[in-house]
Amino acid sequence: MMTYSLRRVLIAIPTLLVVLTITFILIRVAPGDPAEVRLGDYASKEAVEALRAEMGLNRPIWVQYLDAMKGLLLGDFGRSMVNGRPIAADLVRSLPYTLELTLAGILFGALLGIPTGVYTALKRNTLSDYLGRTLSLGGLSFPTFYLGILLMLVFAIKIPVFPVVGGGPLDDLSKNLYHLFLPGLTLGLIMTAYVTRMTRSSVLNILNEDYVRTARAKGLAERKVIYKHLLRNALLPITALIGVYAIVMIGGSVMVEIVFSRPGLGRMMIGALKQRDYTTLQAVMITFTSFVVLINLLTDLMYGLIDPRVRFK
Amino acid sequence: MMKAIKLAFITMLAVVVLFGLGAPWALAQTLRIAMDAGDIADLNPHIGHSTQDRGILHLIFTGLVRYSPGDIGKFEPDLAEKWDVSKDGKVWTFTLRKGVMVHPWKNNPGYELTSEDVAYSFKSAADPKRSAWAGEYAGMTFEAADKYTVKLTLQKPLSSILLLPKVADYAGGLIIPKKPAEELGEGFRTQPVGTGPFIFSKYLPKEKVVTVRNDKFYRGVPKLAGVEVFFMPDLSTRKFALQSKEIDVIEGPPSQPWVEEMQALPGVKVNVFGPGEAGVLHFNATKKPFDDIRVRRAVAYALSRDEVVTTIGKAIAAPVYSEIPPPQAGWMSREELLQRGQKDKKDCLYEFDRNKAKKLLAEAGFPKGFTTEISMTERGEYQVPIQNIVAQLREAGIDVKLKVVDHPTYHSNIRKDLNTIVLFNCWRPTTDVRLTHFYHSDSIVVTGKKPITNFSHVGMIDVDGDKKVDNVDSLIESTREMLDAEKQVARWKEVQLKVIDWCLSYPVFIKKFTFARQDYVDWGYDLKSTLILSPQINELTKINK
Repeated sequence: MMTYSLRRVLIAIPTLLVVLTITFILIRVAPGDPAEVRLGDYASKEAVEALRAEMGLNRPIWVQYLDAMKGLLLGDFGRSMVNGRPIAADLVRSLPYTLELTLAGILFGALLGIPTGVYTALKRNTLSDYLGRTLSLGGLSFPTFYLGILLMLVFAIKIPVFPVVGGGPLDDLSKNLYHLFLPGLTLGLIMTAYVTRMTRSSVLNILNEDYVRTARAKGLAERKVIYKHLLRNALLPITALIGVYAIVMIGGSVMVEIVFSRPGLGRMMIGALKQRDYTTLQAVMITFTSFVVLINLLTDLMYGLIDPRVRFK
Repeated sequence: MMKAIKLAFITMLAVVVLFGLGAPWALAQTLRIAMDAGDIADLNPHIGHSTQDRGILHLIFTGLVRYSPGDIGKFEPDLAEKWDVSKDGKVWTFTLRKGVMVHPWKNNPGYELTSEDVAYSFKSAADPKRSAWAGEYAGMTFEAADKYTVKLTLQKPLSSILLLPKVADYAGGLIIPKKPAEELGEGFRTQPVGTGPFIFSKYLPKEKVVTVRNDKFYRGVPKLAGVEVFFMPDLSTRKFALQSKEIDVIEGPPSQPWVEEMQALPGVKVNVFGPGEAGVLHFNATKKPFDDIRVRRAVAYALSRDEVVTTIGKAIAAPVYSEIPPPQAGWMSREELLQRGQKDKKDCLYEFDRNKAKKLLAEAGFPKGFTTEISMTERGEYQVPIQNIVAQLREAGIDVKLKVVDHPTYHSNIRKDLNTIVLFNCWRPTTDVRLTHFYHSDSIVVTGKKPITNFSHVGMIDVDGDKKVDNVDSLIESTREMLDAEKQVARWKEVQLKVIDWCLSYPVFIKKFTFARQDYVDWGYDLKSTLILSPQINELTKINK
């Protein structure tokens, strides 16, 4: 497993280089640059050129590229071109918010989606099944930002239980969780829809397997049949879905971060894009890509835990 | 297992709610204001220009003079107690207030501000490597004559109308104390140190900036314990935060429906205030068919300013008829332009007349109209008026296709001279700056000596067909040096009348700023206008609860 994991990490390096190169090119193709954005429309051309020189933007593009590559691959993210702050410090501050939001979404999605999926599979073609499938279809169709606003309207304004603003302090667990609930639920409800459908489909596939029939024939309690035999075997595709969706959620958390005014990687990326903050955008993309690689690896490793027959080569 | 999961869920929910409900949302008497922004850009007052930056800077920094709170039509002494100007208008001597304390920073408890700091600050404002407004201070020298006296020497004289805005509490006039600026270097941009009513406390990226009361503030101890400026780019979120009372003041869009919606909320008041940003259409006279004055006039006649204003909302917008908008010196009302037009036997208003527009187009060789494509920003404050403008022009046969891009791209494109028509919304601190930026030949985009926003290329084209390039350069430059305010204002009007006659631009609307607040927030003054695009929060602002 160790060798397998190490090999996967090494293979990720070319992936990071490709992502970095694409980001480097795309942001520089877009009109406007950090000097223009930073000084605004009132600044003279002279002031803009002076700032461009200070930022190193008048160096040959290949020099800028090599500089960016070297820095990022060695873990030196440098400073924001807009506010001059060390990017690493901002990443360290934003990352926990994104990670906890993603984790909360996964937790809600799994805790709500798996039981619902199992239930609808066992009650297939009944009213409960139709209701479950309709609701999950609705969940798939709902835009994240709209759901967030709706939840905010209901649970922060009409029934004022949760806050509207912010991510909460990282050093105060209860306040942090309090601020996390609604945003986590927003992401989690969308994920519930996917997990429900996948779980239902997966359980239905193995419902009539011989070993399930045998387990029932042996007189095992239905609960044990479901959780020890059915669900355990249905978990592989569900795990794959959760892994893939976790990656989607990390990137998709930006809408939730904006709606709930939470700090996070998504907002950092959008802000960097709007302000043409090349260095910050490159650093955020590297971070995102690294997490994609990591989550893919963890998902694959989970297979081995769920199914002992899986071997890592 | 289902029961166990349900129980765990409910317990978790109960715990976080119970803990959370006990959480105090804010320190008493701390004002919480939410801006339409993702984050700050730069808290160096000589660079920061966005609405959220200016609002924060105004808490922390002050100037030699200040615009009267809530009214940009008047100046008051501030860091300077008094000032004199030499007879030739070239030497301005400011006497500083004694005992003004610079805020503490890092391990430094602060110190008394002196003329050395003021001179340093203006030199920084005049340096293109350190200031976005260096052009405003070109040709000026700054001297610390003694501990409390600062001398500004100009190469050419300036009237008080033009000089005082340069030393007021805005942009380059905000005083950066020398010691913290030199000690913090680049760090000053996110740890500003000034002399204002509030002291910078902390900056949480993408979340907020926190300031606390300056107990040694020279105009009196602020009534507020502090101000927290939140970054909340989503309008719905800001509204909900106001309704839940987690936020006391929110920035709004320039939208009448929004104003009406906020006014309907219990316990909420809305401030609509100026001066606003004037929206002017600039015609690129170097690109066909706008090189033909008949086409430019046709576009002007095809537009109804009132219809554009109605689309934006009469509560927040008004038509403007001159490049210089009210209340700036040199602005002209509809009545004044009408009278002037009658006197000079010219049309100075180009009021809506679609038939006239079509007739002019036909004379210019476009009986069926023409098509043009322009870059346009996706920002709402541009989209609302431009959509109406495009619809009106279409009725006259002028098909304007919009290529919508993000805001930085729009500004980049128009400065590359890509558009045939440019809609530009802005306020400029003085009449001279506005006329220079838009109509002096030095300011012509791309090719000017100091290219900025002369999109119509005044100073590069022959308008009247006499084979000579027409410009207003000498008019602008000579007016700048006049010391008689009345004559200066009259001359500025002459500049505008020429441009109106050439129809190189078409002023359309002025759009005000909108903020909603809890009714317990008292600004401490009557808010009519402010240059910083958001309500000034000063030592008199308080929370009445």
